[in-house]
Amino acid sequence: MKKPKQGEGSRVKGRGKSKKPFTLHPSPFTNVADLLLEIGTEELPAAYLHDAVEQLRREGERLLHEAGARFAAIEAFGTPRRLVLAVSRLEAVHTLPAEEIRGPSKQAAFTPTGEPTGALTGFLRSRGGTVEQTKLVQTDKGEYVYLVKPARQRQTAAVLPDLLQQLLGRIRLPKTMRWDDSALRFARPIRWLLALHGTRPVAITAGRLRSGRVTIVGGPVRPRRVSCASPATFWGAVAKQGILLDERRRRGRIDELVASAAAQHRGIPAPEAATHGLLDEIANLVERPVAFVGHFDPQYLALPREVLLASMGKYQRVVAIQTRAGALLPQFIGVLDGAPRKPDAVRKMYEHILNARLQDSLLFWEQDRVRSLAVMSHEVSGVTFHEKIGTMAQKQERLAALSGALAQQWALTPQESEALRQACLWSKSDLVSTMVKEFPTLQGIMGKQYAAAGGASTAVAEAIGEHYLPLAGTAPRTLLGQALSILDKYDTLAGYFAIGIEPTGDQDPFGLRRAAQGIVEVAWLVRRPLSLAALFAAWQPLAPFAQGKAAAGARAHRYIFERLSTFDWPKPTPRRDVIAAVLAAPGDDLVNAMERIVALQALGHAPELVRAAKVVERTHNILKSAKTQPAGVNPSLLQEPPERALWDRYEAQKERIAQLIGAGSYAEATTLYGQAFFDPLHDFFDQVMVNVPDAALQQNRLALMQAIKVLYTERVADLSQLELLQPSPLTTTG
Amino acid sequence: MELQRLIRTLDQFWERQGCLILQPYDMEMGAGTFHPATFFGALGPNPWQVAYVQPCRRPTDGRYAQNPLRMQRYYQYQVLLKPSPDNMQQLYLDSLRACGIVIEDHDIRFVQDDWESPTLGAWGLGWEVWLDSLEATQFTYFQQVGGVDVQHVSCEITYGLERIAMFAHGLRDVYDVPWSRRTTYGALHRESEKQGSAHNFTQASIPLYRNQFDASEEESNKLLTARLLLPAYEQLLKCSHAFNMLDARGAVSQSDRPRFVLRIRTLAKRCAEAYLTQDDEKT
Repeated sequence: MKKPKQGEGSRVKGRGKSKKPFTLHPSPFTNVADLLLEIGTEELPAAYLHDAVEQLRREGERLLHEAGARFAAIEAFGTPRRLVLAVSRLEAVHTLPAEEIRGPSKQAAFTPTGEPTGALTGFLRSRGGTVEQTKLVQTDKGEYVYLVKPARQRQTAAVLPDLLQQLLGRIRLPKTMRWDDSALRFARPIRWLLALHGTRPVAITAGRLRSGRVTIVGGPVRPRRVSCASPATFWGAVAKQGILLDERRRRGRIDELVASAAAQHRGIPAPEAATHGLLDEIANLVERPVAFVGHFDPQYLALPREVLLASMGKYQRVVAIQTRAGALLPQFIGVLDGAPRKPDAVRKMYEHILNARLQDSLLFWEQDRVRSLAVMSHEVSGVTFHEKIGTMAQKQERLAALSGALAQQWALTPQESEALRQACLWSKSDLVSTMVKEFPTLQGIMGKQYAAAGGASTAVAEAIGEHYLPLAGTAPRTLLGQALSILDKYDTLAGYFAIGIEPTGDQDPFGLRRAAQGIVEVAWLVRRPLSLAALFAAWQPLAPFAQGKAAAGARAHRYIFERLSTFDWPKPTPRRDVIAAVLAAPGDDLVNAMERIVALQALGHAPELVRAAKVVERTHNILKSAKTQPAGVNPSLLQEPPERALWDRYEAQKERIAQLIGAGSYAEATTLYGQAFFDPLHDFFDQVMVNVPDAALQQNRLALMQAIKVLYTERVADLSQLELLQPSPLTTTG
Repeated sequence: MELQRLIRTLDQFWERQGCLILQPYDMEMGAGTFHPATFFGALGPNPWQVAYVQPCRRPTDGRYAQNPLRMQRYYQYQVLLKPSPDNMQQLYLDSLRACGIVIEDHDIRFVQDDWESPTLGAWGLGWEVWLDSLEATQFTYFQQVGGVDVQHVSCEITYGLERIAMFAHGLRDVYDVPWSRRTTYGALHRESEKQGSAHNFTQASIPLYRNQFDASEEESNKLLTARLLLPAYEQLLKCSHAFNMLDARGAVSQSDRPRFVLRIRTLAKRCAEAYLTQDDEKT
């Protein structure tokens, strides 16, 4: 390896023109140099890469900023064999701002004769200061010594070893290991560290490893050690090897390679390769992508599409090809890491393996179809859902029994109800099929195939096939698929909550958050009533383990409603306070709550909404002082004209407002509510005292306030939560 | 290179790396990891380098000799190096070269595999190695064995011998692999695969294997109490094989499975702990 001449590496990739000439050597006389850190590893798991790169960049940036360092840009990259951090134009000197650090109290710091004590000298030593730099400051706890450190300049190079060392320790990966006798842990062994600041190495360690200026390129088969005089040498070596360091560029290249390979056979890559994450995974399995096309035996095209794709994706990570019309072709695209010397031999082996895998899949498919879903539905009694809840067979039966409650709410026809019940009874049966044991991701999908093969109606088969959705952006499309999806998730949530398993923070091993989100998403798609209380009333008798656990049911419902805060709402996205206002009066019907949120959001900051909100807020505030829950209003106790007027207005409008709410006309109800009560309420507060000594009178006035408030809040939203009330735009006009 | 020569070549290669070359253990087991030379060898403080062939029984993988890649009985070549050397990947690739594979001609990949043996209470991180997408080797840095965190990390390399041979010859069917110049793998094993598959899937006596599981578990516990850990471990191997047979016969329901696994793991843990305290007593 020739050592590059000084300055040869002064290429700074597209990072702006510098008018001042600079070298890469950091010294007080030259102002900037690039920083490069490479963590060289044995093959990292593809699924970890994206996040690891992001952490490297984010934590690197944070540490540099904390240290006060200045630079032009920071980027991070990763391939299976390396994580790279590149900081461009890092300034050689940076300024630490002035600081004042509190030390011991005056009493502790000085002897009665004014001599510094050990406490003070210790403090100064640890902070690097002198007595001359201190001052006394009067605080609310007495007089204290403060060390005043002026702004000062520091060589960036001096802090880099410590900084990069810290950075190494900040990368958190899901599963880590040891590989030698040091305490170091990482996702896979780290085999080299390259750390350069301009032309100078930065000394750091990782376990027994010391950093240097050497990188390794060429892959495990033809590893080449390249000594880098500067970061530029590194970029040159990487480019020469054809290594694409950037995940996005790699993915882009693979997209091109795969599309042009498919085009050779007048096809396109199966879109699932992109939507199901296969191409993302492939992009993180290679650093020098090369593609080829292989063939498989056309007899296997008899397999269901999903099975073919799963067989191709799971073991070999190869991409299927289809015609533009969507029919799969007996070809596939493989992506290799670098071009092998004998591409034909490689292709042939890929083809052998795929044919053998597909042969196995065909065997499973034929065995399972003979067994039929009806038989499997009995065998699934051997599959545990959760030991405290019961088996999958019991789950299927619970779902079937529960389906009536949903059918009623959704006003399904008798045929639809019966089909839903049947789909419930078979929903989990495919879990005992050999195919799903081999490819767990095909759960539901195989159930659909076996149901259809056994002569079930399309509606039943589709419902089984869709009930694990929504997944990866795909939602169930058929009404019965939507129904089964909700029933299954509801049963899961209610069941786990009943046995005391609830998601907390980031602890959610049973995927309950996703289940609750799924219910919300599908319910919104269907837009039919969804009373959770009605479901629970039907569910609880079916679940002996949940007897006497009504409170757990209420928590499960609350949990589902809380998902409205993170739901992917249609635009315009409802404001947080609008959601909070509805969640303060959630009611029982999930879809109804969602409709109220959308209706209130649509009102924006309209004066009608503000007036209604003001009515709620003022009644709400006065009721906060009430010691007891007010009873009903006694009209004979109403003395003052304004309270009579208010009551008359209430009597005149309550039916109409309730009607509008009942009809889902929330905008009209809100407008009418504000119109009806805003002015009379204003007069009331102007002229009538609520908290009078006469208890009966006081209670009656509170009861009037309560009646007016709940007329709206119990069925629409607690508008006192709205942010538009603070500061109130009405205080000037009202 | 014929399979019998491949074994000799690997023996010589790993012998040069300082490995003790052992013989197969004379009991049925699901993987070379179950050989006491690996299970106990990975535990404790002493360096340990070993290599051996181990025939493996995977009753559920039987395909009546109809599948070119899957078998209910096959051969693993197992290497365990403790502590794991820094150039382990290169050593492995050199061993492929020694077997006559021109690795530059091919697509060789290390693909993530978080290896775990729930019955042995063992796990480690590493890869399955793909030779032109043929999964031919498992490569694992052990982190835990018998439920115990290892003191020194071992690296385990498990070659699928038939697959390496198949690959070296560019064959598509394992039964065509030459065992010697005159005898194929198929001539030696096609019949045993057919009969073995029929036995595992249709004929094996369920009560016999259930009883054997229970009896061996009891025996193992008894032997552990008598501080005879090697015979106790052999009874664990019998439990493990009985469980695999019951599984192939479809006699293990999904809900039974975790209980069976836990029972074996409990034995594995006791064996590992007994082994480590015995080491303490010696030193």
